[in-house]
Amino acid sequence: MKRSVGQIMGRTGIRIPLILWTIAVLYPIFWMFLGSFKSNAEIYRNPWGWPETFNIANFSQAWTNYNIDVSVFNSLLVTLLGAVLTLVLAIPTAYAIERMNFRGSKVLFTVYISAMMIPMVLGWIPLFFLLDDLNLLDNIFGLAIVYAVSQLPFSIFVLTSFMSTIPKSLEESAAIDGLSPYGILFKIVTPLSMSGIITVTIMNCIQFWNEYFMALIFLQTKTNYTLALAIDYISNEAQYTNAWGTLFASLVIAIVPVIILYGIFQRRIAKGMTEGAIKG
Amino acid sequence: MVQSKKQKYIFLAFCLVPTFILFSIFTLYPLFSGLYFSFFDWSGSSSVKEFVGFANYIKLFKDSIIPDTIMHDYFLVVTKILGIMVLAMFFAVALTQLKIKEAPFYRIVFFFPNIMSVVVIGILWTFIYNPSLGLVNSGLEFLGLEEWAKPWLGDEKWALPSIVLPAVWAGIGLFMLMLMGGIANISKSFYEAAKIDGASEWQQFWKITLPLVWPQVKVSILYIVITTLNGSFILVQVMTGGGPNNSTHVMGSYLYQQAFKQYNFGYGATIGVMILVLSLITVLFLQFLMRREKVEY
Repeated sequence: MKRSVGQIMGRTGIRIPLILWTIAVLYPIFWMFLGSFKSNAEIYRNPWGWPETFNIANFSQAWTNYNIDVSVFNSLLVTLLGAVLTLVLAIPTAYAIERMNFRGSKVLFTVYISAMMIPMVLGWIPLFFLLDDLNLLDNIFGLAIVYAVSQLPFSIFVLTSFMSTIPKSLEESAAIDGLSPYGILFKIVTPLSMSGIITVTIMNCIQFWNEYFMALIFLQTKTNYTLALAIDYISNEAQYTNAWGTLFASLVIAIVPVIILYGIFQRRIAKGMTEGAIKG
Repeated sequence: MVQSKKQKYIFLAFCLVPTFILFSIFTLYPLFSGLYFSFFDWSGSSSVKEFVGFANYIKLFKDSIIPDTIMHDYFLVVTKILGIMVLAMFFAVALTQLKIKEAPFYRIVFFFPNIMSVVVIGILWTFIYNPSLGLVNSGLEFLGLEEWAKPWLGDEKWALPSIVLPAVWAGIGLFMLMLMGGIANISKSFYEAAKIDGASEWQQFWKITLPLVWPQVKVSILYIVITTLNGSFILVQVMTGGGPNNSTHVMGSYLYQQAFKQYNFGYGATIGVMILVLSLITVLFLQFLMRREKVEY
């Protein structure tokens, strides 16, 4: 009896840090949502509390005065283009590395994987001039290519491990039925690795949607800004204009798609990220 | 047969070559070219690219800001490892070993900051630290500790430690999941045997859990080191831009300032080479340090 009381106490005790950390994670995010509905005067008067009225003026401000609509469009474009291009580049390579026995396949795989550990910041200086030479600097398409290539190692890594679980007999019988290797790749292997492809694509989309630093270096004119750059710009302006409400509204615009994706694909995202990290 | 072999090679080329060409152009070439750039004095316009040998490296060793940036990076590495690993281990054990009904809820919540944009995290926390409006100072006032309130990110002494908190906040979930994966693989029979032998929960943790999740601990620490040395500057850039008075500059943010703000591209590349070399040395050193014979019971 005494023991069980102690255990109940222990259970409750262990919940205290868990609940505190839950608050530490959720409250700032919640606070950001509340702030996006407050006027600037209200933010100064009452930074913590509930908004007096749910005012969407901040969102329309962000939309009209800071051209967030253009940035949202740019971010969507670079995210989708980047994600599609990554798949186009990664699926055939992952298949060849996983299934075709060719000399150097291990070396090639190692080259791709070790690129995950190399600090790319060194490469960004030459990349800047390379993009300039190719007329891809300050260009959403150029950024999409850079993004896609930057996620190749991770995508190839996850896709090869998914493809290794497909039974070889399926490909063999398709070959006997006269299907070309191209047919096997696109009609058999690609549909069967759909689960891996979805995981990789969600991870890449979140990555591209969130990315900040390469956009900062490789984009220059405001009309090409992605959402991350627009937010950074509003944040710097807010030091002088005190347009905190607008800033909160733009943060909300940036985070809502991520929350929705996480709500739907929570398990996949968590699994994809842990696998990507364990490759070490 | 010859025909089919040729076709096999064409198919292989179809699969591998376009991808590898783009990878070479946009990843391999820039990295090697970065090494090459570090031997030049270059302000960006192609006419005045001057070979200077090791001059940039000599400048690097004489630059009084460089040792600070290295110190700041390793300060972040050490504090992040401690903060993240202790909390992540605690949460991982709590959520797997103690049968808590709502464990999946905590898991989902704790992981979420891992997929938030660094910009959103940085700006949100800049606001949390805001001297007049932010949560931290209002919270201290609420608790009657006004004298502790300060302009956190504007204070030379406190700015860098203030950056650790958002980094830990945003990092815990992933490592908690990695450790949970490790703990889930430990056979229940070890704990049962330990209980019969009268081992306390604390002893069980040190003698069973920790040694058996050591591979995950190792991977986590290496991952934190790599991502911090290669990426901590993004959070720094968003939150302080390296200020006040260079007190938060890390190697990456200093590179950005030198190359893309002051147009010393050659010197920027030299800093990049330093980041590459230091992160490789650190990873190799840690791998050596943490090698530990695989524990099997």
